[in-house]
Amino acid sequence: MYKIMMFEGGVYKFNELRELVEDIGGVIVQELVMQTDTILHMAFPEEEEREIRNKVKELGGKLIDLPLAGAEIVVVTPSLGKHHAVNPLCDIGEYLRRKGAITDMMGLARGVGKRIAQITAEEKMIMEECDAVVFVFGNLKECIEVKRGICDVIKVPYLIVGGPPDLELEHYLGGIGRRTDRMRRKEEFDTLEAMASKLGMILDEKRKEVEEDPLAASPLFIKELIELVMPPKAGEELPFIIHLDGLRMIIDDDEVARIREIEVGKKKLSEIGEIKKSLYRGYLLKILPEAVTGSVF
Amino acid sequence: MEVKVEGGDEFANTSYGKICQDTFRDLGVRTSIDHTYLYIDPKEPVFLISVKIGRVASPTKVRDVTQPEIDKLKITDEKFAPKILAVLWDKYGERVHQIGRLEIGLKVEGREEAEALKDLIVYDPREDLIPRILDGIDRILPEGARVRYPLPSPRRITIIASENPIGGEWKKKAEEIVRVLGDDVCIK
Repeated sequence: MYKIMMFEGGVYKFNELRELVEDIGGVIVQELVMQTDTILHMAFPEEEEREIRNKVKELGGKLIDLPLAGAEIVVVTPSLGKHHAVNPLCDIGEYLRRKGAITDMMGLARGVGKRIAQITAEEKMIMEECDAVVFVFGNLKECIEVKRGICDVIKVPYLIVGGPPDLELEHYLGGIGRRTDRMRRKEEFDTLEAMASKLGMILDEKRKEVEEDPLAASPLFIKELIELVMPPKAGEELPFIIHLDGLRMIIDDDEVARIREIEVGKKKLSEIGEIKKSLYRGYLLKILPEAVTGSVF
Repeated sequence: MEVKVEGGDEFANTSYGKICQDTFRDLGVRTSIDHTYLYIDPKEPVFLISVKIGRVASPTKVRDVTQPEIDKLKITDEKFAPKILAVLWDKYGERVHQIGRLEIGLKVEGREEAEALKDLIVYDPREDLIPRILDGIDRILPEGARVRYPLPSPRRITIIASENPIGGEWKKKAEEIVRVLGDDVCIK
């Protein structure tokens, strides 16, 4: 199983680290070089962590664990009005990104209120394209108790966050409700940390499920293969977003045929995965389990 | 500004108290409000907000936000620059020209005209006080409570809000609350 970690350090002998990651069968997920600072998200086999740590120590950089890396998480609020955005929506989004996740934000069309709150079918489908959902609700206990019902239709793992700290609900975390200022105090960071670790646990469960019925090929491996055929264009950021069981590909419509023909071992990409247009952005690739497609090698 | 929140649990009351304070502060009307009362009933759900308007700041004049120089005015508070220009153009027409970001060219003739210029009103907070308070109320009340019922009374803005139709008993209850708060309601 791959582990994704972030390297933060200088450019000195930085290439050696990249080469090491590639040698041990790892993948560079994201790379950012700003003059003398380097940030590198890398995925490597779990058992090779010692090797990477030794190299990072030699280079004098920092190695940070990214528990949410390799997942796309959507943060959902009842609306995009002043009541719910931008606080605490942005604080949550930012914290999840710091923990390695790729985040999207979404305001529901008819999500406000207690009795009248609802999720439309299209919104549900957009949320289910992601690996996990975080619902940000308000400060009224009675409202959250009723409103949580609309979240039950979502088939991907989700977490509800709201103001009241003492609410006994499944998938609920208190302390982050309707706010008028940023979350910048120590105890607020602790709450955000608790939210990230709860999401980490939820995603770990999903990762285990995927591991029990292994995919035909790892999304990281497929991303590498696609990038060999279609190198990212200049100035393009993250054209391939890694999901737990596939990829979101931000590509043009005329490039889909080329993607389908990419060879993964003995098979074509279209044979080991389902490609469909996303309702939100780009195309989605869902990699099928090896049990369905047979071995690719 | 004093804020009193009742009806909800302890957490809801505290957090809505803070939301009231912060929202009115952001809109710059906190000093013009004497007292805000918010009643929350999340079970129904019905919300009642009552804002007592206090003393409003006196109008800002040209003398407060500019410094006179020879044949020109120097703006000391850039926030008012568009308003000063609009007022001067309105009054003196083509005699006014903008030299720079903070400089306005205007030749005044005689002492009397110079005094009259200084006394021109640039901005009167009374003009848009009510719209700003209503904007604040709109931001405080939960977004789902879209059915609104205003209760007219002198120097007080009271609004009942709910997501369901507002019944007579709530209107009566609201009138009673406002009466206790110290103002008579003009019953239609």
